Amino acid sequence: MSKKRKIISLAVWLSVVLLALVGVIMTNGSEKTESIREIMRDAVLHDRNKISLFGYMEVNPALISAFTVTGILLAAALLIRLFVIPKFKYVPGKFQLLLEQLVGFFDGLGRSNSPHRNCFLNVYIFGAGVYIFFGTLFELFGIQAVTTHGISIALPAPLSDINAAIALGCLSYLVIMSGGIVSNGIKGIGKTLKDFSLPISMSFRLFGALLSGLLVTELVYYYSGLSFVLPVVVAVLFTLLHALIQTYVLTMLTSLFYGEVSEVHKGEKKAKANSAIKGEH
Amino acid sequence: MNIPLNIDWQQILLHVFNFAILTGGLYFILYSPIKKFIDKRDAYYRNMDSEANEKLASARAQEEQARGCLEGIDQQLKETRMKAEAELSEYTARQMQEAKAKADRIIEEARKSAEEEKRAILASADKEILSMTKEATEKIIHSSTDEAYRKFLEIAERDVQNGK
Repeated sequence: MSKKRKIISLAVWLSVVLLALVGVIMTNGSEKTESIREIMRDAVLHDRNKISLFGYMEVNPALISAFTVTGILLAAALLIRLFVIPKFKYVPGKFQLLLEQLVGFFDGLGRSNSPHRNCFLNVYIFGAGVYIFFGTLFELFGIQAVTTHGISIALPAPLSDINAAIALGCLSYLVIMSGGIVSNGIKGIGKTLKDFSLPISMSFRLFGALLSGLLVTELVYYYSGLSFVLPVVVAVLFTLLHALIQTYVLTMLTSLFYGEVSEVHKGEKKAKANSAIKGEH
Repeated sequence: MNIPLNIDWQQILLHVFNFAILTGGLYFILYSPIKKFIDKRDAYYRNMDSEANEKLASARAQEEQARGCLEGIDQQLKETRMKAEAELSEYTARQMQEAKAKADRIIEEARKSAEEEKRAILASADKEILSMTKEATEKIIHSSTDEAYRKFLEIAERDVQNGK
């Protein structure tokens, strides 16, 4: 590129940035429909901005996000199933390798943490992992929805809603318990109930992590002065890293506890067998 | 019942419903086919590996067999060589013996011939010596007669001269 062209490109880029800045400042004068306090409160409690679910009931925006994420993921999965998977080769290409790594990662996580029983666990942590990761990344797109009050809002990450976090936390706990029951019967329930705080800790860990990201993002985007450069850092820190970390944490914890409660103790079996033999004598 | 944090059981169940659909859908559409493909590829490479191992084992067995054959051949070669060497040494000894006998015979013949020749030479030398002796004797005899006669003649001449 010649020097003259470089200068022209730089000038165009600077003028675009300046025009955008002027536009932002000029439009900032318009009245905000909600104060930052209301936004923060609504982000935590979801008591104000509701979205109508097919006119049947009013739900939190995160539920719409959850349905949207599910729809997008299933559509993408269907496209992959129809157009990519039939063309799989023994020596994989880049995309095939990515898909295999995705499946292989959760499969390996389940196998390593619960080597004796992991079929259902692998499927569950695959679904949960994909849901948490893409659900968290979903807020980056800022897809708009209209509330029942007629306000336009950006759809948040599904798990920034406490209901979604409780649903996933409790479901993980039930999956862990199911592993205990299948492997150890009534004892498995006892083993799982021993960690009774698990559903609460799992739910609130997810909720807290995702909510913190959401609050910081809301705060940053509320003030136009903070809307330059900073969102890049915020998006990376509170969205991408959360997506990765929370996916790993929940799937790892679930598989770890599942492996623990579904393990059949050989010592107990041996003791039983010994006592049975002694009884016979 | 007023639950804190605006927790709504209906929405929790809706989230569970949503997640169940997502997990089931992902399992049937994505996870299962990819897992099956990975397992199929694993089986393919495992099969390839076992086939290669079988071939390797077969090759090793063949190698062992070939080594056994080679050892047998080596042993056979050794025996043949030893036999050949024994035969050769026997043949050589026989040849040597024959050669020696021949040489002895030749020497004997030569000795005999030399003796005969010597004898013939000696005989001829004797004859020659005899003839030479005879000749010499004859010569001696002739010379002594002539001298005596000459002396007699001289004496006679002298007597004649002296008037005797």
